[in-house]
This record gives sequence, structure tokens and C-alpha cells, in this order.
Amino acid sequence: MMSEQGRILSLLLSGQFVCQVSDEEGWRFLKSRDNAAKLEPHLNVLNRTLASTAEGDVFFAAYLTLGDDERKVLTLQFQETASSLVPLVEWLLLVQQASESDMPVTMGNALRLNELQSVIEDTPAYAEQLEKISRYRIFNSTSMNLDGQLKQVFKRLTDMGYLIKPNSEKQIYLVTGKVEHLYEMIKFIDETESLSLSAQAEAAVQQGSLL
Amino acid sequence: MSQVLIQAGNRLLNALGRHSELIMQAYVNGSVKEADHSRKVLEQLVQLGVLWRPDPQSPLRLKNAVRALLEGSLQDDRSRTINTNITASLASLRTLAEHYKESLHHNRFNEAHAHMGDLTEHVYQLTESLTNSVRVLFGRINNEFGYVSSVEAKIRENELAQGQVSDLLQQLESFHFDELSELAGSNRELRHLLVVALQQSFSKAAQELSVVQARLLDLLGRFREFQGRTRLLKGFLLHMEQQPDFTPGNYPALSQVPVLFNQSASLLAPAAADVNQVEHEADYQMIVSNLTDIHRRKPDEESHKAAQEIEVAEQGSVSLEKDPIHQAVDDYFCDVIDSGQPKSALEYFAEHALDFDQEVWIYQVIGGYQSLDENDKQFFALDAAGQPDKTFTGNFYINDVTLGLR
Repeated sequence: MMSEQGRILSLLLSGQFVCQVSDEEGWRFLKSRDNAAKLEPHLNVLNRTLASTAEGDVFFAAYLTLGDDERKVLTLQFQETASSLVPLVEWLLLVQQASESDMPVTMGNALRLNELQSVIEDTPAYAEQLEKISRYRIFNSTSMNLDGQLKQVFKRLTDMGYLIKPNSEKQIYLVTGKVEHLYEMIKFIDETESLSLSAQAEAAVQQGSLL
Repeated sequence: MSQVLIQAGNRLLNALGRHSELIMQAYVNGSVKEADHSRKVLEQLVQLGVLWRPDPQSPLRLKNAVRALLEGSLQDDRSRTINTNITASLASLRTLAEHYKESLHHNRFNEAHAHMGDLTEHVYQLTESLTNSVRVLFGRINNEFGYVSSVEAKIRENELAQGQVSDLLQQLESFHFDELSELAGSNRELRHLLVVALQQSFSKAAQELSVVQARLLDLLGRFREFQGRTRLLKGFLLHMEQQPDFTPGNYPALSQVPVLFNQSASLLAPAAADVNQVEHEADYQMIVSNLTDIHRRKPDEESHKAAQEIEVAEQGSVSLEKDPIHQAVDDYFCDVIDSGQPKSALEYFAEHALDFDQEVWIYQVIGGYQSLDENDKQFFALDAAGQPDKTFTGNFYINDVTLGLR
């Protein structure tokens, strides 16, 4: 049997995000400063350190010092992330619009696949959008019908760690903290590149209302 | 007077009961469809003050008092009005208290009693309206303004509620308990009403309102965050549409890589099985037995066919020798069979001058007899010679055994 400490250490070392949704016990463990300090030496041996984003809601392992090899890994990872941003954002907006409350997708949300599917089926615009999203390389769906596309998209998102499926029999997915990480990344890009994305969206809405 | 009042009240309540459908329709829809009901009924309800017509062109609507009654009893979260007019109520309380004191002073007890009743009613009305206001606010918070759908509308509703809370808090400041207690003087009943009852509801309301305010601010923050997120996502898509070739800078190449993009690669691979670990043997066995399909590699036959010299030699023989005492017991049995006469073990022992311990010998004979199989045992009889213990019954000392043929 592995201790809780060992379990969480191996989670972190295998590159997973630990949040309240994906692993509540582990998250609570890491929340305690003492426990985190206990893990740190183990991580440091392997040139890793405990990092958190989204105001401490998500934990993951980051490199302690960056050599050429590490930079290579990070660059590769970043290119992948950057190329998958558009599909992910489109998916987030689709889910938000198709859900009744029009609330953005956040950590801990429960997404019911059946409800989502019926809304998307009834709205041709959403169905088109879904088809477009499912054709992106990261989702890579070849299915012609909506059901298959939606399932493939959700499956891929689960593989990538954005969603978890607590009960394998039910088509209910929970949004993990990795989505918060995604928001943070977009926010960061927005600020660094000074894109003022919010202002752009606002301006577009106002122009729309004038028309 | 009171008889008339009671009759009028009964008439009103009966009318409400009789026309409940009409009234509920008016409550839900906001106005009455006059074409669906007889003119007489409508006129009666207008006369009783249940319905009214705000201006000649508009349809009949429910009077506010009836609407408030329904909202209060049904705990309908559509009601968002909050009675914040505490100052006026306090002023009327003060006046009534003065009336009461004056009539007591002039010994007009009947009048005083009536004033007291009025005053009680007013005080409880005030406390009820306070708790009601707080309840309405909490109701709205609890369903997170679920009655409006868009985040913008929620933010507006939240702002309205915050305004109401601060109004209420301002009004609560107009409670001056020192003045009230002075007004009540030494009169026990007045003190109970004006000081105890009011103070209790005041402190409760003030406490709950502070909680409400905190929660409202919390919610507002969340709504604003939602709004910000939606804008961020939409803005990003818009940006990507306008500049499809946009790529963010290569942040990992910066000298200080932001934590967000510093995510270490997966390091752990599954461990391998250690077949020399004895403790795991059972688990391995389980795993292997659960395999449905074993992919055996075809043995590389050629490589194992190295020439080998074959040595042919005689195998060493292994002989099993019996323990001498066993041999002796076997001999003793054979002797009895040969002679056909019973013979005691010790006699045989003395005859053959055996050199074992006597007791061991007897034990071995008994053991030899017991270890025969059932068929062989039937040929022999074993008698024990000895005497019982002198002191304790049930103990029997065996000195010798006699073996004979049956």
C-alpha cells in the first residue's frame, strides 16, 4: 500500500492536475502548507516543484530549473496548447450557450451529455458549430452524425483531463480545474500581448445592438 | 360597530373564496380578462376593494393589499418589494404610546386598552415586516436570482437588492432605544413592547442583513467574473477570426517562464514485476491465471541445439535401512507367529538380550501393534499387564504387554 503522500507525489510526477473535482483528498492534502513542504524535497530531487494556478485551486508539477531539455519539452507543450486554444474556446462557448443558464463553464460544473445533445440537435446553428469543432485535429472526429461527434469530443476532453466521468454508466461529466488553467492561460495571453479581448467583445456586442 | 365590521369582513373573505380562480388568474397574469367574467362579479370585487382600475383605459388589477397577502403567504419569490418605511412606523408608535399614557393618567382605562391593542398591532407589524424583508432578500440570494436568466440581469437584480439592504440598514439606524425606553418609562407593558420586542427583532434583522450584504457582494463578484470570462472567450474567438495567423509569443523561451506554462512532463512509467520477490508469488500466480491468452514466444530451437556429450554411468543405489528397534519389533511379531504362543514383551526382551530401554521397548511394541492395518490387527491380541494406581482411581500402570494370536 502507498501512503497518501506517495499517491499524490506519483500523481504530480505523472503530469496530472490535482483539483477539488478530480481528486478531492489529494487537493486537500496539497492545500495544507505542511504537506506541500513534505512533498517538495521529493519533487526537487527530480528537478520539479509544486506549482498552483487559479488562486490555489489547481496543483501541478513544474520544472525547478530550466535547462535546454526542459525548454524543449515546454516549447513543444506550449505549441500544442496554443494550437488547441481555438477548438477548446469554441467548445466552451458552445456548451455555455447550449446550457440553459448561459453561465460560463467553470470547475465543478456538471455537464449532462443527453441534455446538451437534445439542445444541440434542436438548434441547427449549434449542430453546425459542433461539427466544426469535432473536425479539429485535437478532437479528430470522423463521425457523420451528431451523437458520435459529441461523444468523441467529450471523450477526448476526458483524456486530456478537462473533464472527468465519475460514473462510467452515466453520461454526466464534471469539469475539472484544468479548465481554470485554460482560462488563466488565455488571460495571460490577453495581458501579455495586450489584445484587450474583453473590450473587443464588448465593442462587438454594441455594434451588434446598433445594427 | 364591531358587529358590522365583522360582517363586512366575512363578506369580503367569502367573496375572495368564491372568486378565488379569478383572483389567482389576476395574480399570475397581472390583470383580469374582463370578457371572461360577469360584470356584476367584477363590480362587486371592485366595491370590496379587491380589484381596482388604475386609469379608465387599463384593465382591472389586483389591489396591492391582496397581492401582498398572496405573496407573503405563498412565499413567492417574485415579490421584490421591501417595506423600508420604518421611520414612519416608529413615529406612529411614539404617538400611540403617548395616547396610551395620557389615557392611563386620566384613568380612562377603556380607551387605554384600545390604544394598547393598537400599539401591540403596530409593533408586531413592524417586526413582521422586518423579518419579511430579510426573508425576501435571502430567498433571492438562495436561488441566485434564478428568476432572470442572463448574467447581466442577475447583476442588475443584485444591485437592486444591495440598494434595498443599505436602505434597510439606514432605516434601522432610526431606532433609538434610549428614546423608546424613556417613552416607555416605568410601564411594564410598554417596556415589553417598545424595548424588548423591538430590540429583539432589531438585533436579529441587523445581524441577518449584514450576512445578506456579504453574500450579495460575493454573488456580485461571481457574476462579474462570469461576465468577464464570457467576454474573454468571445473576444478571443473574435480576435482569432480577425487575425487567423495570430500566434502567442513563445513564452517557454523567456528567461523567466511563467508558472502557467511551466508544466513538467510525465515522469513515471509502470514498474516491472520482480519474479524473485517471494511475497508476490501468489499475486503473480493470480495474474497469470487470469490471463486469457498467453503470447508465448516461439522458442528459438536452433540456438539451443549445441552439441552435448552424454555420459553413461551407473546410478548409485539407495538402500533404506530400518531402525534397529523397528527391526526388533518386527522380529518379535514374527516370533509370536512362528511359535503360535502368546509371549510377553519383556520375556522376549530378556531372551534376546536387547539393549534398548525397557520402557521404550514396550512403547515401540504397542506402537508396532497400533500401526498394523486393520486386517493384520485382527490376527493379534495385545494384553497389558500392570496395576491401578494406589491413590488415584482411573490411572493404570503398564509393566508389560503380552502379544498373542487370536
